[in-house]
Amino acid sequence: MTGAEPRVCVLRMEGTNCEDEMAAAFREVGAAAELVHVKQLSAAAPAHLRRDLEDYDILALPGGFSAGDYVRAGALFAARIKSSAGAALRRFVEAEKPVLGVCNGFQTLVELGLLPAMGDAMPPAPEAALCTNDSGRFECRPTVLRMDNRGSCAFTSGIPRGALLAIPSAHAEGKFASADPDIVERLEDGDQIAFRYVAPGGGPARYPWNPNGSASDIAGICNPAGNVLGMMPHPERAISRFTHADWTRGYSSEDGDGKALFASAMRAVRPRS
Amino acid sequence: MAFGMKKRDAPYDLFEIDLAGAEDLSEVSSQMSLGLSAGEMEKVREHFSREGRSPTDVELQALGQAWSEHCCYKSSKPILKEFVFGIPGDGVLSRGDAGVMAFDDEHGYALRIESHNHPSAVEPYGGAATGIGGILRDVVCMGAQPIGLVDPLCFGPPDRKAPLPPGTKHPRYLMGGVVSGIRDYGNRCGIPTIAGGFFFDERYTGNCLVNVGCVGIVRRENLANNFAGGPGEVMILIGGRTGRDGIHGVNFASRDLGEASGEESRGAVQLGDPITKEPVIHACLEVNRRGLATGMKDLGGGGLSCVVGEMALAAGCGADVDVDKVPLKESGLAPWEIWVSESQERMMCTCKPGDVEAALEVFEMWDVEATPIARTTEGSRMRLFWGGDLIFDMDLEFLTGGPVYDRPYSLPAPPDASSERFPDLPWHGEVLLSLLSDPNVASKEWAIRQYDHEVRAATVVHPMVGRMNETGPGDAAVLAPVPGSRRGLAVAVGCNPWFTSLDPYRGGMASVDEACRNIAAVGARPDALTDCLNFGNPERPERLGEMREAVRGIGDAARALGVPIPSGNVSLYNEAAGGRAILPTPMIMACGIIDDYRKAVTADLKREGSALFLIGRTRREMGGSLLFRTFGGSGGAVPETDAPYLKGVMARMAGAMGRGLVLSCHDCSDGGLAVAAAEMCISGGIGASLDLSGMGDPAVALYSESCSRWVAEVAEGDAEAFAEIMGGDAARIGSTGGDSLSLCGDSVPVKALRKAWSEPIWKIMGGSA
Repeated sequence: MTGAEPRVCVLRMEGTNCEDEMAAAFREVGAAAELVHVKQLSAAAPAHLRRDLEDYDILALPGGFSAGDYVRAGALFAARIKSSAGAALRRFVEAEKPVLGVCNGFQTLVELGLLPAMGDAMPPAPEAALCTNDSGRFECRPTVLRMDNRGSCAFTSGIPRGALLAIPSAHAEGKFASADPDIVERLEDGDQIAFRYVAPGGGPARYPWNPNGSASDIAGICNPAGNVLGMMPHPERAISRFTHADWTRGYSSEDGDGKALFASAMRAVRPRS
Repeated sequence: MAFGMKKRDAPYDLFEIDLAGAEDLSEVSSQMSLGLSAGEMEKVREHFSREGRSPTDVELQALGQAWSEHCCYKSSKPILKEFVFGIPGDGVLSRGDAGVMAFDDEHGYALRIESHNHPSAVEPYGGAATGIGGILRDVVCMGAQPIGLVDPLCFGPPDRKAPLPPGTKHPRYLMGGVVSGIRDYGNRCGIPTIAGGFFFDERYTGNCLVNVGCVGIVRRENLANNFAGGPGEVMILIGGRTGRDGIHGVNFASRDLGEASGEESRGAVQLGDPITKEPVIHACLEVNRRGLATGMKDLGGGGLSCVVGEMALAAGCGADVDVDKVPLKESGLAPWEIWVSESQERMMCTCKPGDVEAALEVFEMWDVEATPIARTTEGSRMRLFWGGDLIFDMDLEFLTGGPVYDRPYSLPAPPDASSERFPDLPWHGEVLLSLLSDPNVASKEWAIRQYDHEVRAATVVHPMVGRMNETGPGDAAVLAPVPGSRRGLAVAVGCNPWFTSLDPYRGGMASVDEACRNIAAVGARPDALTDCLNFGNPERPERLGEMREAVRGIGDAARALGVPIPSGNVSLYNEAAGGRAILPTPMIMACGIIDDYRKAVTADLKREGSALFLIGRTRREMGGSLLFRTFGGSGGAVPETDAPYLKGVMARMAGAMGRGLVLSCHDCSDGGLAVAAAEMCISGGIGASLDLSGMGDPAVALYSESCSRWVAEVAEGDAEAFAEIMGGDAARIGSTGGDSLSLCGDSVPVKALRKAWSEPIWKIMGGSA
C-alpha cells in the first residue's frame, strides 16, 4: 500500500452482505477499499469514525438485503443514503467518479434515481424498477452476460464489445422494467446498456439463462455519462476462476470473468500514463 | 390448585411456591410447565428444605430449563461419554459451543450441527429460520466468521395422499415452509447454504427433522471462550429484545409431539429476525477481534437462565443479575418469563470493567442494542435482583448439576443375509428410472437454487455440479475460507436412517462412512465430524437401544478413522402423537481438508472415451436398500463398514486425485452403483457403458448399497497409473461415451435419465427448472 491507490468506499448497512467480497475484488486490482457504514457519512457517527464521500475515488454499493428488503428492494438503503449524504452523492456522481451497484446495490441505485437517469443525474423519483422474477422465487444460478456497451461505460472499457462473461446471479427481484414503453430503445440510443443475459454460446437467453424475465434480457445498465453502473449479476463473485460453477470442466485462465470490470474501473480513475 | 403460591408484595409478578406443603409434586411441575419428573421435583424440594425457605417461581423455572433433556442431556450423556466424547485428534483447538479444528498454521475452522425439529413441526417457517439463527450464533461465539450453512431435512413423503393423523401438517406444507425459512434467514444473513440433504419416509410424517449445521473460520489468536475470564467482569446482553416468544422451548423439545402441539406450543417457537442478527454477527466479531471481550456465548435453549449460569460456572464464578435491566419487547413480563424466554438474536459477552465502554461503542456503531445486565462474582451463587430486591439465590453447582439417568435399553435384533427376500424386478432401465425419480434421489434443485450458495464468493465446489444449468448432484461442497490461500474446506453430510432402523450399529457406522465418502469424492481428506443425533423417546427401552447402538457405531467408525467429533447435539423425543417414532437418524456432518482446491474433483463425467472404475468392495448387502424399499424386498444384511479399509482407500484416492489422475468421482449411496453412474451421466451430459460381468449377480452389483464405494472416471491414458495407486481397491467397470447409459444388457438415453431425475420434486412443489 503506497497511499497512491484509488480509494474505494464500499458502503454497508444492516443487511448488506456482499461487502467483504466487493472490497476484496477492488483490492485484487490494486485499489484501497474501505468498508464504510452508511451512518459514518452522517453526523450520527462519532467524530473519529466520520467519513466524507469526497475523499473517495470510487463508490460501491454491495448486494444483500439492506434493512431486510421488507419493502421494495433497495428502497430503505436509498432513503438512508439520501438522508445521510444525498448532496455529497450528487456531487460524487456529477464529478463522474465511478459508482458500482451490484444486485441489491443496483436496486438501490435505481431507487436513488441514479439509474437510468436519462434526464437529470439524480431525479427525485425512480424512473424504473427491478421487479420480482418471473419464476416468483429467489434464484441462485450461473448466468452468462454479453458486454453490449459501445464505449460510454467506465466499468467495461477493458472488455471487448460482444465478449461473453460467466457471472452468477442470485436474487428474487431482478426483472428490469419501466413505465416508459420505449425505455429499451432510449437506453440503446444513449449507450446505457452494459450487459445482457445470453445463452452460453451467445444465443437468445431463454429461462433460466435470463433468470428473471428482464426486458430485452437486460442485466446491467449505466447512466448517460457511463460512470454509474448497476447490474444484477455478481462480478465480485467471479474474481477467481475457481468460484465459477463449472471450472472443473476446464479453464484457460485462473482469473474469473468478473475481474475485468474492476480493472476497467481502475483505468477510469487512474488513466494509464 | 393443589399447592400454595404466595405473591410477593412488590410491583412485579413474583410468587413463592410452597413446595414443602405441596401434596403432589408432579402437579406443581405440570401446572408450571416445568417438565420435571416427580423424582426430580423431590430433589428440588429437599434442596430448598435444606436452604430453609420456599423457592420463587423464577428459581423453579430455571431448574426446569437447566434440568431438561435439551440442556443437560440426562438420558444421552452416559452413552455419549462411553462412545463419542473425547475421540482424540491432534487438530482439535476447542470443544466449545462449536468445535474448532486447526485449518492451517494461522486459522481454525468451527463446525457444529444441531436440531430444530419440534419448532419446525409446529411452525415450519419460523422454526427453520430460528434454527439457522441459533447455529450461526454457536459459530460466532467461538469468535469465528460463519462461512457456510448445511441443512439436512427429513419429511414424510411430500406427495402423500393418505389422510393425515390428527394434529399433523402435510409434509409438502412443512417442506415448503422449512425451505422458505432457511432461504429467507440464510440469504439475508449472507451466509451461503452449501450442503444438505432431503430424506423422505412415512415415519417422518408426524415429526419432521430440521437439522442445521454451520462452519466458520477464525484466526487462532481470536478463538473465543464461551465463559467469563473471572470474577468482577460485566456481562453485556447483546442484540434482540426479550419477549414472550420462545417460552419453554427446551421443555417442548424434551417431550413427544402431541395432537395439540400445534395449538399449545406455538408460543414455544421463537420469532427470527435476520436483519437484527446480521449486524450482531459483525459487532460481536469486532468486539472479540479487538480483545474487548473475555468470553461470548449465545442465548439459545433456556435463554438467560442457561447462559448466565454456564458462563459464570465455567469460570469458577457466581453472578449477580439485574433482571429488570433486560430490554423487553413489551412491558409486563414477569421476571420468570424474562429469565427463561428464548427470544432470538441475542448474545452475551463478558468484559473487563475497563473495556465495557469501548465494547458498547462498537455495538452503538452497528445500531445493536447492548446492555450490561450482570456481574460475575466470587463464589458460586447466582443471585437475581429486581429493582434491588433479591428474587433468586441459588448455588450454581446445584442448578446446573442436573440429573443423569442410566435408563434401561433393549438391543435390536438386526436382520442377516439369510432373511433376505429379493423382489421381482422389471428390466434394469425401468428399475433405474424408478430409483432416479424416488424423491430421496431426485433432484433437489427446487430447494438448492432458492438458497444463495455462493455469497461471500468463496464457494469453489458448488452443491450442484456439471454443465451450467444442466447440473447433477455433488458430493461435498468445497470452500476457500482464507483469501489468498489455495487450501480448501470440504463439507458434506451423510446419514442412512433406513440402515439405522434395521441395524442401528451398522447404520451409525454407515452414516459416518457416507459423510466421509462424500469428502473423499472431491479429493479432500476427512478431518472432523459433528453429529446431530435424532432419536425417539429415551424412556422407551427399544428407542434408547437404537440410539446406544447407533452412537456406538459412530464412535467405532470415527475412532478407527482417526477423525474427532469436537461438537454435536442430541434431539430425543422425536415421536408423533401415539408414539410413532421417527426413523433413528444419526445425522453426520463431515469436514475435510484439501491442500490445493484447484485439484478438487466433481461428479460430472468430463469427456467421452474415459475409463470408469468402481472403487471399493461390493457385497450382497441389500438390507434397507432403496431397491428393496421401492420394489418390496425385505430383510437382508445391512451394509457393514470396514473402517480401517475405508481409511486406506480414501488415502489412496487422495493420492490419485492429488496427481490429477481422476476426472470425475461420485460416491455410491442410495440406489448403489447404478444410480451413481446415472447421476454422473446426467451432470456430464455424456453416456457410459458398464460391463459388470465379473461382479456376480447383476442386480446385486447394480443396486447393493455396500459402503466405502465410489465410481471414478479416469483418462484412458492414466488408467494404468490409477490402478497401480489404488492397488486392488479399484476395478475397471466400463467406459464413457455415447448418449446412453448401458448396463447389463439394457440401455437408457441420458436424456431420459435426466428427465426422470429432474422433474419429480418440481412436480410436487410447483415450478420448473
